[in-house]
Amino acid sequence: MSNNKPKQKAKLWQYPWGYRESFLIAFFILLTGFLVELISGGGIRMPAWPVNIAIIVIFIIYFFLVHSLIKHPIVKWLSSPKAAIASISAFTLMVLLLGFISQGGNMEDPRLIDSLGLTHVISSWPYLMSALYLLVVLGFTIVRRARTFSIKNIAFLLNHTGLWIVVVAASLGSADMWRLSMQLEMKHPVTTAYDSHGQAYNMSFGMQLLDFTIEEYEPQVGLMRNADFMLQMEKGGKLATVKEGTTAELENYSLSFEKYIDKARKYDDIYDTTSVPGGSHAVYIVATDEQSGQTVEGWVSDGSFNVPASYLALNNELSVAMTQVRPKEYSSDIRIYHTLDEYEDFYIEVNKPLSIDGWKVYQVGYDELLGRWSERSVIELVRDPWLPVVYVGIFMILFGTLYLLWMGNGRIKTKKA
Amino acid sequence: MTWLDYPTYLLLATVFWSLALIMLATPRKSIFHKLIGIFLFLGLAAVLTFTISLWVSLERPPFRTLAETRLWYGVFIASIGIVLHYRWKLPLMLAYTILMALLFLFLNYLNPDTFDKTLMPALQSPWFIPHVIVYIIGYAFLGFSFLIGVWGLYLNYKGKDIERVMLMADNIIYIGFAFLTFGLLFGALWAKEAWGHYWTWDPKETWAFITWLAYLLYIHMRLRKKQSHKTALWIVVFAFITILICWFGVNYLPSAQSSVHVYSS
Repeated sequence: MSNNKPKQKAKLWQYPWGYRESFLIAFFILLTGFLVELISGGGIRMPAWPVNIAIIVIFIIYFFLVHSLIKHPIVKWLSSPKAAIASISAFTLMVLLLGFISQGGNMEDPRLIDSLGLTHVISSWPYLMSALYLLVVLGFTIVRRARTFSIKNIAFLLNHTGLWIVVVAASLGSADMWRLSMQLEMKHPVTTAYDSHGQAYNMSFGMQLLDFTIEEYEPQVGLMRNADFMLQMEKGGKLATVKEGTTAELENYSLSFEKYIDKARKYDDIYDTTSVPGGSHAVYIVATDEQSGQTVEGWVSDGSFNVPASYLALNNELSVAMTQVRPKEYSSDIRIYHTLDEYEDFYIEVNKPLSIDGWKVYQVGYDELLGRWSERSVIELVRDPWLPVVYVGIFMILFGTLYLLWMGNGRIKTKKA
Repeated sequence: MTWLDYPTYLLLATVFWSLALIMLATPRKSIFHKLIGIFLFLGLAAVLTFTISLWVSLERPPFRTLAETRLWYGVFIASIGIVLHYRWKLPLMLAYTILMALLFLFLNYLNPDTFDKTLMPALQSPWFIPHVIVYIIGYAFLGFSFLIGVWGLYLNYKGKDIERVMLMADNIIYIGFAFLTFGLLFGALWAKEAWGHYWTWDPKETWAFITWLAYLLYIHMRLRKKQSHKTALWIVVFAFITILICWFGVNYLPSAQSSVHVYSS
């Protein structure tokens, strides 16, 4: 890494430490991490409250004490750009491994990459050790700059402290976070929620689904090859949007949408409006071959769990078919019971979570087989006490970056002038 | 307006920009040289006209698919090249950015999108536009820095002084890095609202973080100015490769089987 050629090469481990020492230390840290991972197996679990906060407080006191009391070259090295570069490199290497290797290996019958922690990088020892190296260097850098406080330092401190806070709070706080999923039913209130391992939890409240709504995009039709049931499309082309009383062109066919039924049932090859759950989308199409002038007509429907689909055959090769209708937005009306007669109603949709009893409630899914007829709504309950701390860090970085963008790299400009 | 109308606009942009590049080679004082700006602008206008009309007919912001993001990339990298040229007189860089914009726009000609109005519910958020726009601007600056990096490596190879090139790379990367940071953090704030957590190590998130770390490395490399320029420039090249993986490559990685960011399948 070190490309500068000093006149006389300093001995290894002679102070002040340079790139060689910084990278060797990074290498030993990763090596130790991998060895510990091999021996202990299965990675690590972050400590929960109050151990995590104790670790953070000790960490911070340690930075200040060591920085002010010990004037050793190693302490100076810990806040040097060389240590920063080596620690960022080691950490980047671990994240790169995470980026390339498929996560979630099988620990019952571990392969070498499982045992080295590479299929669960985030909870592996080498990752933790590299992050620790980064956080220690970052911590000492912050403490050093904070002691010579000046206006010019503000952006620097905002960025570096913000990053330290985000990484520490997000990783050490993860054990205090709750993410539970709940399947709400229309018939009765549900009180059980599950975590990602399938562990059940009894909540102090019950929730019942009052109503579930899906808003859909308009149905679309396209030309389907009879041979393989695949859509035949020109690159860059579009499907025809179904609207009653309009016409559309697909290749050399003109399609006239005569009648559209949003919720249809099929009866003797004819689609009809229905109020029974499970109706499909259906449209009556008159298709004209613009070259020969021949017409065919009939029903086209996407079908549902209750109604068969229909295609309109144009010739031996092609048919008109309806593509799957996509949801635009879905939402739930929910009643929460604190006790049997004490309840309140609320409404959630995707991207619009709600805070209830210290939980943030998200709309995440529904019964996709039944689609708009779903009588089940899947919600997620999230509780993350460290979130405000992470947000403080995020906003510190945002403001620091704004300053950076505004001022540019000041040193470079003055040097240029 | 659909992707079927695209070739017309691409042709217009190609013709206008090619004329501008040819005129760029004429002497400074010639009448042609003064017309460059007009043709640069006309080319940009052609691409913008298509982009905006596509937006109108899709009835949703065109930021979802790869072809749509390539379109914006073309718009932004050309704009940055034009602005920087008029700020610092960099004809060679202008030519590079225009050619790069044309390359990305031409990729869309080979690989157009299907006209698809749908936008999955989680993407329907006020964060959608800022998140993507900020990233594309960042990518455009960093794409520019990649060109500077390659140029610097070439000059270095030829044994020329590259101090000025390094300063330019620094400035461009500071701007690009700031936008990357915004994109990453906007994404985190949005994810909290849409998916319940600000960070889930989704493959696209992981790779966005890797790109961020790569430029972070460059910035820290440059704190000591005496250091080897060559290593720093190689990091710029490597960092842009991570951007390309993050942008196009993630979908093909084994680690990305269930990414929430794969929308265009």
